[in-house]
Amino acid sequence: MNYYFKSAIAGSFLLSTLAVNAQDLSRKIPADALAVATVKGGNLTQLMSVSEFNQSFPGKKILEALAKDYKADFQGMEDFGFNLSSDFYYYNQTNDSVSYNCFLMPVKDAAKIDLFFTKRGKQFTLKDQVRSYFNIDSTEIVHWNGEMLLAVLPTAKAAYFNRPEVRERLGLSKQEEIGLSLSKESAESDYPLMTDSVAVQVAGEGNQKISMGIEDDATVQEPVKKKKSVPAKNRSKKSKLKGKKTAVKNYKKKPVKRRLETLKADPVAAEEMEVSTAVEATEAFATDSSMVPVDTAYSESSASDEGISPFFQDRRLKTGILAKWTAKMSDDFFAGKNQGSILSNPDFTKSVDHKAEATIWISGVEQLSSAYLPLDYFKGVNFMGGYGTANAKLFLEEQSIKMSSAITFNEDMGSVMRKVHKRKLNKKFLKYVNEDQMIGYMAYAMDTKAYLQEYPKLVSKIYGSVYADEIGMATDLFSLLLDEEAIGKVIKGDGMFVFNGLSQKEVSYKSYDYNEENFETKEVMKTKKETLPDFLMMISTEDTRLIDKLIAYGVKKELVKNNNSYYEISIPKSPMAFYFTIKDGVIFLSSNAQEMQQIVNNTFNTKVSAKHKKALLGNNYAAYFSPKKLVGKIPAEELGGLAKVEKTNKTLSSLGDIYIRSFPMTGNTFSAEISMDIPAGQKNALKYLFSITEDLQK
Amino acid sequence: MLAGDMLKRNARYFLLILVLCVFSSCFQIIEEINVANNGSGTVNLTVNLSASKTKVASLMLLDSVNGYKVPGKQKIQQEMEEVVSYLKNSPGISNVKKTLDFENYIATVSFAFKNISNINNVSQNVLKKMKIKAINNSSFSFNPENGVFQRRYIHTKEALVEYNKLKPEVKNVFKEASYTSIYRFEKTVATSSNPSAKVSKTKKAVMLNAGIMGLINGKTNISNQITLVK
Repeated sequence: MNYYFKSAIAGSFLLSTLAVNAQDLSRKIPADALAVATVKGGNLTQLMSVSEFNQSFPGKKILEALAKDYKADFQGMEDFGFNLSSDFYYYNQTNDSVSYNCFLMPVKDAAKIDLFFTKRGKQFTLKDQVRSYFNIDSTEIVHWNGEMLLAVLPTAKAAYFNRPEVRERLGLSKQEEIGLSLSKESAESDYPLMTDSVAVQVAGEGNQKISMGIEDDATVQEPVKKKKSVPAKNRSKKSKLKGKKTAVKNYKKKPVKRRLETLKADPVAAEEMEVSTAVEATEAFATDSSMVPVDTAYSESSASDEGISPFFQDRRLKTGILAKWTAKMSDDFFAGKNQGSILSNPDFTKSVDHKAEATIWISGVEQLSSAYLPLDYFKGVNFMGGYGTANAKLFLEEQSIKMSSAITFNEDMGSVMRKVHKRKLNKKFLKYVNEDQMIGYMAYAMDTKAYLQEYPKLVSKIYGSVYADEIGMATDLFSLLLDEEAIGKVIKGDGMFVFNGLSQKEVSYKSYDYNEENFETKEVMKTKKETLPDFLMMISTEDTRLIDKLIAYGVKKELVKNNNSYYEISIPKSPMAFYFTIKDGVIFLSSNAQEMQQIVNNTFNTKVSAKHKKALLGNNYAAYFSPKKLVGKIPAEELGGLAKVEKTNKTLSSLGDIYIRSFPMTGNTFSAEISMDIPAGQKNALKYLFSITEDLQK
Repeated sequence: MLAGDMLKRNARYFLLILVLCVFSSCFQIIEEINVANNGSGTVNLTVNLSASKTKVASLMLLDSVNGYKVPGKQKIQQEMEEVVSYLKNSPGISNVKKTLDFENYIATVSFAFKNISNINNVSQNVLKKMKIKAINNSSFSFNPENGVFQRRYIHTKEALVEYNKLKPEVKNVFKEASYTSIYRFEKTVATSSNPSAKVSKTKKAVMLNAGIMGLINGKTNISNQITLVK
């Protein structure tokens, strides 16, 4: 026995070290990556072998789809040439001018990847064992060798390219010119109106042929070895012709008729458009459509040609610059010229969890949001201020699926969060939980007083930089009007909602019947069933004076009925009612009179397991839902039809118990977790997820 | 922080969610027209929300729901009064009566007309007064000479456009709503052109039952030409 135990430990240790060392590409990820996503192929293939995946329903679907799209014969996932038992990465690298979305994948068999590209008719070059593929305008660059594959999709930062000094340096047209040509939607515009993917459709066959597909942006592509660009004009007629063909093809693919109305409305503009389109098209597609990789930008190309809209010139220039940067970035990556590895960032290495199947790590939420959000529009209001590093992990385990997430705040915000989350759930709540009855619960604990005191401070931090005076006054007024302490006593900040199911009550209503004789109408009483959730809500309170007053007022106005030990608020025009009472510093609200009676009489049948106790009392937020317990409790009337009832019940019973909880703050880090148990009979979470997707398709 | 905001919002919407999702809703519109041989007659319009009275009552406790202002009892009464006084002043219309049952949420309006053409303008204007964008693009005519009663109805796309603007919760209200029209005559009915319409045993009444949805999306046609025996 002991022997087996020891060898099992040794074995698993060996396996885990192997998994760590085997072709770990994370060291290649640059230290300044803003976000990194990891998918652990090793863990996944342990849960489900590649051959199992190929045979599975989603696996088959994926392979089928690929085979259809690329007219290639893929027997299985392994045919793509990747090392499926190693780690796959996505990372984002951003600077002031460009944001790179990079996919880094471990390669097992480069020849298979070569084949994948060749079969799709995509040409690539080979230099020093590194293959390079560029799409038509180099907005997609893929490099690979025997070890790894890097695919890069760059996105230009508009704010950078809009800066006047940058525009001047890069030879872009002045901002006003573009603004003018784009803002004038009407005829006076000197330049034809064209935004992103515009395919101009002007009447007449001839014109249609030169409609453009800016989508595959018009570019003069340069062979990789030639450093000097040849203006499009000087190229052979043959290649021009080919370019035109491409244009026609592109038009067919993506016709965009957005500007058509403007054109129709104004023949002059249409004519202008026609002319410049013709020029543009010839220029644009004066390349052989069979791709040659780009090295240099088209910034040197025919940008200064007359008759081309500055908008397109700029686009072309920008794409060229972007392509140049991206190509350099990828080359450096393979040449190992990267400065520092992400592994030198302790925050990243701390977030690495070898048990997690997938992980997303964000170096700083604030930085990432400022990299993506158009902050110019917010006028300096920093919504994400104070949010630091964050991560989310997915665990596919034998008995559960778990997703955890954590976010670290800066000291200011962290202290606010700590204060607000200091409160624990009222232990008395547990006395009114009966596990056999309940279907789910939701509980939260926070400090109302701290929240009300800290909230204004937080607001002033977000808006303070811009509206300092106004915010200052508003927050003072807030504190003046509210007595945080008094409110904190009325509603302390913790509460629990227990969901016990659904109950039905009969409701009568008036309708009309018609006699067959002469369709005379007759008033008749009919009945129908109304469904109401069965629940118990509990809220902690210290100072009940205000609530007592409210109740007294309600009783006086006959909205509330006093049943001696508890109160009743009837739902108008129905036999249903809500019941409430205040007892031992807890406000109880329930839809069930019997339950209320039990609470008042101290006869409530408590049943709560250690698991739930721990979840409820140990965390600031806890929720639980058991879909299985709901099976058969939803009235058919609510779903409409037996077939739907059956389907709903089937779905509900295939789901395991769901738990959500947040953990107490550790330092400035707030973390939470959602998990679902896997129903018995399933081997592991991954196989279970696959079986669900298959069921849902049926 | 987020949790706090969420809870506050939850508390506010707690009642709303209960009201909107839990209680079922449907309503009934009944239009009865009795036509005498000389072309005069009476109209009786009923709007019955009794089947969704729990929901209506709960909604009326709230000030507004999803941006829609919920009219109070007084406002409803006042608007009904306006409709009645408008009818009283309309040419050819007399004996205007209304009932409002706030226990069951049933409203009725009845009146007499000299000639059925009197009601053509009236119905349009009443609907306009009640701020209902006309889904009712119809006109009535009766020729005592040849005994032909006609209801012309043209579906307008506007109804569907307006309907599509509604939020899903509100759309649901219309899904089970029904419309019934009953025409009664002194003479017996020889033919009724609308295949969905039923003729009573006495052959002196014609009834058509339709879902409101069918009227909104134009799938149901309530036009009818009824010829009376001479």
